[in-house]
Amino acid sequence: MRKIKDYILNAITYIASGISVLILGVLLVYLLVNGVKSINLKMFSDDYWAKNYLVEVDSDSRNFDSKYNGDDYYIKKYDIAIKDDDKEIVVTYIGENSQFNELKSLTVGDSLGMITPFDVGYKIESIEYLDSNGVISIGGVLLKHNAIEVAQILNENHVNSIYYQSTSGGIKASIINTLILIFVSLLIATPISICSAIYLNEYNSKNKFNQLLSVSIETLAGVPSIIYGLVGITVLFPVTQLFGATTTSVLLGALTMAVILLPTMIKATQVALAQVDQGLKDASLSLGATKVQTINKVVLPGAMNGILSGLLLCVSKVIGESAALVYTMGTFISDTPSLTNQGTSLSLMIYSIMSNDNPNFELACAISLIILVIVLVLNISVKLINYKFNKLGQR
Amino acid sequence: MNNLKTTKLNKIIDKVVSNIYLLMTLISASFMLIIIIFILFKGLSPFMSNYQYGVVNFLDFLFGTQYRPDMGIYGVGFIIINTLVSALLALSIAFPISVLTALFVVKIAPQRLSEFMKVVIDLLASIPSIVYGVFAAGIITKFTMTIASMLGVQTYGGTSLLSVVILLAIMIFPTITSISISSISSVSEDLQHASLALGATKVQTNFKVVLLSAKQGIFAGAILGVGRAFGEATAVSMVAGNKMFGPTFGLFNTTRTLTSTMIAGLKETSGLDYDIRFSIGLVLLIIILITNFGLNFIKNKVGKTHEKN
Repeated sequence: MRKIKDYILNAITYIASGISVLILGVLLVYLLVNGVKSINLKMFSDDYWAKNYLVEVDSDSRNFDSKYNGDDYYIKKYDIAIKDDDKEIVVTYIGENSQFNELKSLTVGDSLGMITPFDVGYKIESIEYLDSNGVISIGGVLLKHNAIEVAQILNENHVNSIYYQSTSGGIKASIINTLILIFVSLLIATPISICSAIYLNEYNSKNKFNQLLSVSIETLAGVPSIIYGLVGITVLFPVTQLFGATTTSVLLGALTMAVILLPTMIKATQVALAQVDQGLKDASLSLGATKVQTINKVVLPGAMNGILSGLLLCVSKVIGESAALVYTMGTFISDTPSLTNQGTSLSLMIYSIMSNDNPNFELACAISLIILVIVLVLNISVKLINYKFNKLGQR
Repeated sequence: MNNLKTTKLNKIIDKVVSNIYLLMTLISASFMLIIIIFILFKGLSPFMSNYQYGVVNFLDFLFGTQYRPDMGIYGVGFIIINTLVSALLALSIAFPISVLTALFVVKIAPQRLSEFMKVVIDLLASIPSIVYGVFAAGIITKFTMTIASMLGVQTYGGTSLLSVVILLAIMIFPTITSISISSISSVSEDLQHASLALGATKVQTNFKVVLLSAKQGIFAGAILGVGRAFGEATAVSMVAGNKMFGPTFGLFNTTRTLTSTMIAGLKETSGLDYDIRFSIGLVLLIIILITNFGLNFIKNKVGKTHEKN
């Protein structure tokens, strides 16, 4: 009887642990199934918003020794290939000497006559051409033409103008913003944190005031990040104004992030400092080194591994943060990253996509996967560093 | 002579550097003060008689059962209840699972499996909340919808109290588990040997002796978990549905938490609709403080009765 009861209790713990494995599994599978399709190398260099171009193309025939051997509709006259893709006509190949490499903009303004970018993946929306009777006609997706018909039009007629759209859904700007965020916030948080940790560990005589300091810093860790967002925008916004920011900005996000990182970084540094052998410190002091010399030459180098793993932890915190940044960076996905303008980090970009009425789940999952991979790599690095650190300590 | 000079110089450097350290510590610590002051100042301003965008009645704000920014009605009474309900429900799901998992990892699982479980828990802990949000909006809402349709209940696309509770339970699980693990592993061996020597089985020892001895640490984990549940914003706002009135007790009804209210529909950076978010932030901070004190009180009580026994 007792044995049966024991078995049941043990089984319950197995089930409880199984639940967490199941959840992690479902989460990973969900992200992979939805996200992997959307991940490609191009998304790292593409803009988020599609750009439209109205251009003219040089219709003089050229001689190509084309290397094209795909199955899509090949247009001999221009040495390009197109295909149907979900009601869109997508360019799949552009020859080296194709006239499409030197399309000239017809958009009135500064860009008039400039050569516009044209690349594989771009969508041809419509074509204005002279048909066989010399009448101006329009072809393309708008008239429900498919790729064969468009290829025919391009091959056989004189084209007046082409209207096309660049690829979209890229995360280039968000990646750059995330990097800026990481760099600036760590640049500010690291020295403050290390100094604070040194003070709290090495100079801290146990009086009421010092205790208040360390309790304050510990409490900071428990404040929800959304509160940091509120405070960031009231307290730190004037600081960013000095740098020329007129609205919420990447800089404001970075400053707020620096404050959020403080307790984490201080704690990590404190732990690292505490692991430095007291005997080493005493030896250094008794050899006549001053306290500052001891800290700089003995304590800090000894704690370097721990500090480094703290830094990596902070990086993954910056990458994952969203609530505080909604307030301080705005949720508008901008394609031109800049320190003093609004922009989104990768996490914020997901939030922005998901707040749409019709969220693009696949893109959100793709970015989530990217974030997850980065965060996992960082965490594994932290583990490895700590492992090495502990091994060294044991010697 | 030269030696004396360097000693003097070193002393000055020591003094200066230590003061720099102190200054940096003051800066770090002062942010807590800054947070309190500014949230208080900005959060209370809509209730002051000289508030420029139209004064809000404090009692209406605190006990209101409607949150209609479009009609100028800002009542957060029901939101407070919703927040408490969702966080405590999440805790009541996550807490037993976490404790059992921790016990499994430390005492029951074979070495290999235990290492594997630790990695799983670490992974779950390191997943950013926004990723949990995407997961919740994609999977948890579907799960809720399936359950609801099995019970013949309608949901608003799966956004509901149940979705929020499941999401929060998943998010606080690794926090509670990892703290429980460290507190269970620090239970003294002697105690367990004594229990075993008295004829208790291994399982009985695990459940009756180990868990009881570790309960203070486990409670500390629960406190941290609840704090995380209260403060979680982006993920929750994706599945809460932001109901305009309440409170919500039905599992399949949409709900609205303090954080989802603070983050949803943020567009302008001035005006009452903006300032009221600071008031809600103030309420959030106070609730976190009160729950922390309450749970700490329970924790100490529990610890004491155990010592008496």
